[in-house]
Amino acid sequence: MSDKLTREQRTSESLEVRAALLVGLLVLLMAASAVYLLYARGVFEPSQRLVLLADDAEGVTVGTDLTFAGFPIGRVRGIELSADGTTRIVIDVPRKDARWLRESSVFTLTRGLVGNTNLRAFSGVLSDPPLPAGAERRVLVGDATAEIPRLVSETRDLIRNLTQLTSADSALAGSLGNIQSATEKIKERGALGVLFGNEADAQKLVVTLDRTNALLARIDGLAAKADQQVFGADGLMPEARAAVVQLNAALLEARESLKKIDAILVDAQAIAGNARAASNDLTALRSEVDANLRKVSRMIDEVNRRWPFAKPAEIKLP
Amino acid sequence: MTSLASAWSVLADLGRSALQWFAGWRRILMFSAKLLVLALSPSSYRGPNLVALSRHLVKDTAPILLWFTLMTSIISLVIIHIVVVTSVSYGLSRYALEMVVRVLVLELIPLTAAMFVALRCALPNAAEVAALHVRGAFDGLSTGSAEPLQREILPRVVSGMFSVLLLAVVSCVVAAVLAYLWVHGFTAGGFPSYTRTFGRVFSPELSLIFALKTLGLSLAVGLIPIASVLYDRPNPRVRASTELRGLVRLFFMILLIEVASLVGNYL
Repeated sequence: MSDKLTREQRTSESLEVRAALLVGLLVLLMAASAVYLLYARGVFEPSQRLVLLADDAEGVTVGTDLTFAGFPIGRVRGIELSADGTTRIVIDVPRKDARWLRESSVFTLTRGLVGNTNLRAFSGVLSDPPLPAGAERRVLVGDATAEIPRLVSETRDLIRNLTQLTSADSALAGSLGNIQSATEKIKERGALGVLFGNEADAQKLVVTLDRTNALLARIDGLAAKADQQVFGADGLMPEARAAVVQLNAALLEARESLKKIDAILVDAQAIAGNARAASNDLTALRSEVDANLRKVSRMIDEVNRRWPFAKPAEIKLP
Repeated sequence: MTSLASAWSVLADLGRSALQWFAGWRRILMFSAKLLVLALSPSSYRGPNLVALSRHLVKDTAPILLWFTLMTSIISLVIIHIVVVTSVSYGLSRYALEMVVRVLVLELIPLTAAMFVALRCALPNAAEVAALHVRGAFDGLSTGSAEPLQREILPRVVSGMFSVLLLAVVSCVVAAVLAYLWVHGFTAGGFPSYTRTFGRVFSPELSLIFALKTLGLSLAVGLIPIASVLYDRPNPRVRASTELRGLVRLFFMILLIEVASLVGNYL
């Protein structure tokens, strides 16, 4: 009886564990899916806002990508209609991708033929200052379907021109006819005959060419002789080279002479220095002699005053 | 005179049928509300109730989990291949992955899981409940006792709901991984663009509708067959059994949920 109870208890415990595992699997998968979805929606990524202004945002939906060089760098978060009737396309750009947007960036909105709409950014100068957060820019709208009528009109013009060009009485057909007759004449008379219009003038050109050839042959001979005269063994160039060698030797000798003159000049400079010093000494000597002479003069004056025959020095006034 | 009387009787029959139909739905709704209240009560997950719930959870989910995942993987691979090849041939390969995610993860797999669980678990559970009902196991219900509900019915309802949720989530994850591998191969290089596509598809509104739809499908599969066999009165004029009528009600509700989700997603 107790064995049966224990077995039942064990079975129920095993069932509870397996049920808990299944519930855990469900909770785990749901939590992982929710986190992945939040990550995919860019919830964990810091972003900055960019507002594109357009007259018509047809085809743009929430979630549309903003691409740069084919890579999605932002996502439309909302589309609003402003008070002045302009459409405001609010885009979230992740901060790590915002470096591709500059002050000078251009934004385009293009609609394809199958209804797909693309928002593209073009940054020509990546050295410009980065686009600030919350910036508002006009978007250039390029509609592929809007181009179709113009394209059809231009294509029709093109086809009309082509038809005119290829018609039997067109200028192109006349030109082709002329070319055909010219080629037939070339076959008959050769290209020179067609060019000059008659055989005699064509013959003259041939003779002129022959004479020109002969003249060229003579000029060739002259050139060979001139080469011999200039660059030959006894030519102008070897002699010029020898003259240059001699000139070099003369220049060496002149350099030696100049060195000697330099030494002489140094000696003369020293002599001039000595003479300047001597003249300074002479000035001192002269001042000494002058002083001595003044002393002798004062002494003679003193002797004359003390001498008996000396007359008193007087000054008579008139 | 006779034709007028027969017309009146036809109209009266129609009115009676409509009234019965609405009355049946009302009883099912009331019963579902009662069961949901019991499901939120902690006492339903104690003692013998927990053992019964565990037994039904394991019995209804574990045997079919692997097989259903394998089956949906094979079907997913076929659908992924068809969508990708068709998109490439029309030059629309950039939309292939988005279409695969929308078709498989959002629409087909939850619906398939609900139908599979309904046929594999919910109907047999309803038949068991009908048999118990015939034997008088739920005679106490009329007196207001919650004991039979907690012991016999709630585990079956919760296991049906749980089975739908688990099968749908596991198959969605497997289908998403298979779609990535089929398009990008065994490389991590396509992960950023794949994640971006996933994020673009699962906008907040669409994610909410997807969650509500899956929850609604699981509630319908868990509740409607059992409630039908308990509260649908035998109708001598209808040849179908009560289980079959429950299945019809279930398919009707699944159709309603699916249409509502499509309207919410794409209109």
